[in-house]
Amino acid sequence: MRALSIAWKDTRHVYRNIAGLALMLVAPLLLATALGAAFGSGDNFSIAAVKTVVADLDVGAEAGAPAAGATIAGALDNPDMADLLDVTKVDTAVTAKATVDAGDAEVAVIIPSGLSAALMASDSAGSEVQIYRDPALSVGPAIATAVVSSVVQSLNGARAAAAASVHLAVSLGVTEDSELADLASKSAEAFSGLAQSEPPVTLEERAPLVPGLEQQKRPNVASQVLVGMMLFFMLFGAATPSRSILDEHREGTLARLFTTPTPRSVILGGKYIAVFLVVLVQAIILLLAGWLLLGAHWGALGPVVVLTLCGAVVAASLGLVTVSFAKTPAQAGAVSSAIFVFIGLISGSFTGGANIGGAFAIVRRVSPLGWLLEGWNGVLFGGSWQSIALPVVAALAFALAFFGIATFFFRRRYA
Amino acid sequence: MEAIVVEGLRKQFDPPKGPVAVDTVSFQIGEGEIFSLLGPNGAGKTTTISILSCLLRPDGGDARVGGFSVTREPEKVKALIGVVPQDIALYEDMSGRENLLFWGRMYGMSGAALNKRVDEVLELIGLVDRQKDRVDKYSGGMKRRVNIGAALLHNPRFLYFDEPTVGIDPQSRRSILDGVKDLNASGVTVLYTTHYMEEAQELSHRIGIMDKGAMIATGTQDELVRLVGERTRIDLTLDREAETLAARWRELPGVSSVSAPDDGSMWLSVQDANVLMPKLFDGARAVGARIIEISLAEPNLEMVFLHLTGRALRD
Ligand SMILES: Nc1ncnc2c1ncn2[C@@H]1O[C@H](COP(=O)(O)OP(=O)(O)OP(=O)(O)O)[C@@H](O)[C@H]1O
Ligand SMILES: [Mg+2]
Repeated sequence: MRALSIAWKDTRHVYRNIAGLALMLVAPLLLATALGAAFGSGDNFSIAAVKTVVADLDVGAEAGAPAAGATIAGALDNPDMADLLDVTKVDTAVTAKATVDAGDAEVAVIIPSGLSAALMASDSAGSEVQIYRDPALSVGPAIATAVVSSVVQSLNGARAAAAASVHLAVSLGVTEDSELADLASKSAEAFSGLAQSEPPVTLEERAPLVPGLEQQKRPNVASQVLVGMMLFFMLFGAATPSRSILDEHREGTLARLFTTPTPRSVILGGKYIAVFLVVLVQAIILLLAGWLLLGAHWGALGPVVVLTLCGAVVAASLGLVTVSFAKTPAQAGAVSSAIFVFIGLISGSFTGGANIGGAFAIVRRVSPLGWLLEGWNGVLFGGSWQSIALPVVAALAFALAFFGIATFFFRRRYA
Repeated sequence: MEAIVVEGLRKQFDPPKGPVAVDTVSFQIGEGEIFSLLGPNGAGKTTTISILSCLLRPDGGDARVGGFSVTREPEKVKALIGVVPQDIALYEDMSGRENLLFWGRMYGMSGAALNKRVDEVLELIGLVDRQKDRVDKYSGGMKRRVNIGAALLHNPRFLYFDEPTVGIDPQSRRSILDGVKDLNASGVTVLYTTHYMEEAQELSHRIGIMDKGAMIATGTQDELVRLVGERTRIDLTLDREAETLAARWRELPGVSSVSAPDDGSMWLSVQDANVLMPKLFDGARAVGARIIEISLAEPNLEMVFLHLTGRALRD
């Protein structure tokens, strides 16, 4: 009972502090909204089509031969790419750049007039395809660049193939110029035809792939971003009431508490409960806000509840353990912020949690937040108990260790 | 019957180099008594109270409060005591009433009994009107009163007050001193610390004088004053600052000590006032000063402190 009185007092104290609330509740929602908007608001983890202008100035190496510029322009304008790139053709480089400058397109691709010739010649002077972009944007131009470079690479391959076949022909005694040129362009065509049969960029397939769950529903972006942000800012939410131990020490109320018949273990227990309650309330508010304001679908109720509770336990343990090392509230603030940002980074809190594969999926398991994100991704993609079982157990094991360390330090200092 | 028995208490902070805040201190407080610890800054008063509150563990010695050892039975001791800390220890973002309710719960109180007791205490400390305001909106004197109120909720048998009147107006101070006397009259045993001689004199049945961690004398006021010997105190006021005069008078035969002059006022501890007074007037005239007020009085605790330590109680 006394522990609950202490917990209630501390919880109210946190929720009376406007600046603290902004960090705990407003910041994650704003970030999730902003990132969600940047990636489009569809149900898929897809990116809104990037407005692209293409100025194809390539005149071709000679009349009748296929022009490299047309190949690039064609790749960009390929119907398969329509989801990603919204291509408009213009006649001059100046118009293309002006369109970007005016904000009517995000990126301009300018194909120089000598591109085909340069590819046919043995040196590549004048063959640079120019990507002109709004420096404030990064996602859209990156896609256009990826498409262009994949085409250019295949064209370079074609050039190498042509050169090789001409060399071969010469060594076999073919000397007629027109014959050689014909041979070169045929082998180049053959190569690039081969290369083009592979789609240049397959962004759709970079989307989240949980093994065996390809057929499952795709959660919206905001919900994936919000989960990462929520867990990250819950650490800050936990740090505030954790610091109250140091604050009360400085202000003399801790000493006064120690003169009452309430045992020190109950006082510390009350503080722990407060930290847990603060982040639990924070998580519930953020999940409800995500659902009501950002249209997030969190997944199966049972696992979501367990993950929420588990997240609160983990955040509380991390808040307490970082504070338990510190001597003053200011020191605790600085130390814990640094640790939290590091944990957020290695856990993938800032990457939306979705497009994580390979090595990073393993690396982030060094942090309880990484495990929790793994669990959340499981339920977001339609998983249930079996997809959260291991993450929950692992995260709780971390939390237990942190509570132990924090208690050790607090007892040594105050008991 | 001795209610509090302190035996050979010793506490050193940050050993081995830190200060010895309490150095082998022993004293007793009788049931129903007001006992004051009088001493200058850093004497060890707060450290002593902290040990008797089970907040600090002594390095040596022990104390029994109501028959229970502060080192071996702290839970039992804590249930008997109410502690008014020297620095205000309240939650500034909660109201006076919320603070009292919270501290009452920490003493194991709850429900209607707690509410009723909080009403009584608010009445006692004169804060019924402002009980709903946040503590950080209170004046210094009001905070002091809540700070005291929080220690009274569970009707403790022993009350410790650690310099409860520091930095407040004379009116609040008066009401606190009267409150302490009322509580004592209702049967509470009081341990009170102060560096104001007047407070110790007014309140205490018995007084312990502390300096630099040591208890240098204990007893009733009369017993302590007798330590000074057969002396009289001369209080006088000059019409100007008188450092040099004080130094010169200190050398006169028959003068045992002279206080540090405070804005022309000082006192002297002398063997025979009638012999010395003409010499004082002569001395003043010699440096062009005038004595504008002079009176004879019994020796006080400040003289005792000066007598025992060679220093004034307040520097
Ligand atoms: N936590 C502490 N750490 C180190 N030294 C301390 C600590 N608390 C007190 N001291 C030292 O112990 C000595 C006694 O301090 P204490 O607070 O008991 O004196 P006091 O009589 O209450 O003085 P005041 O009238 O100023 O309140 C001082 O030298 C002080 O510097
Ligand atoms: Mg003190």
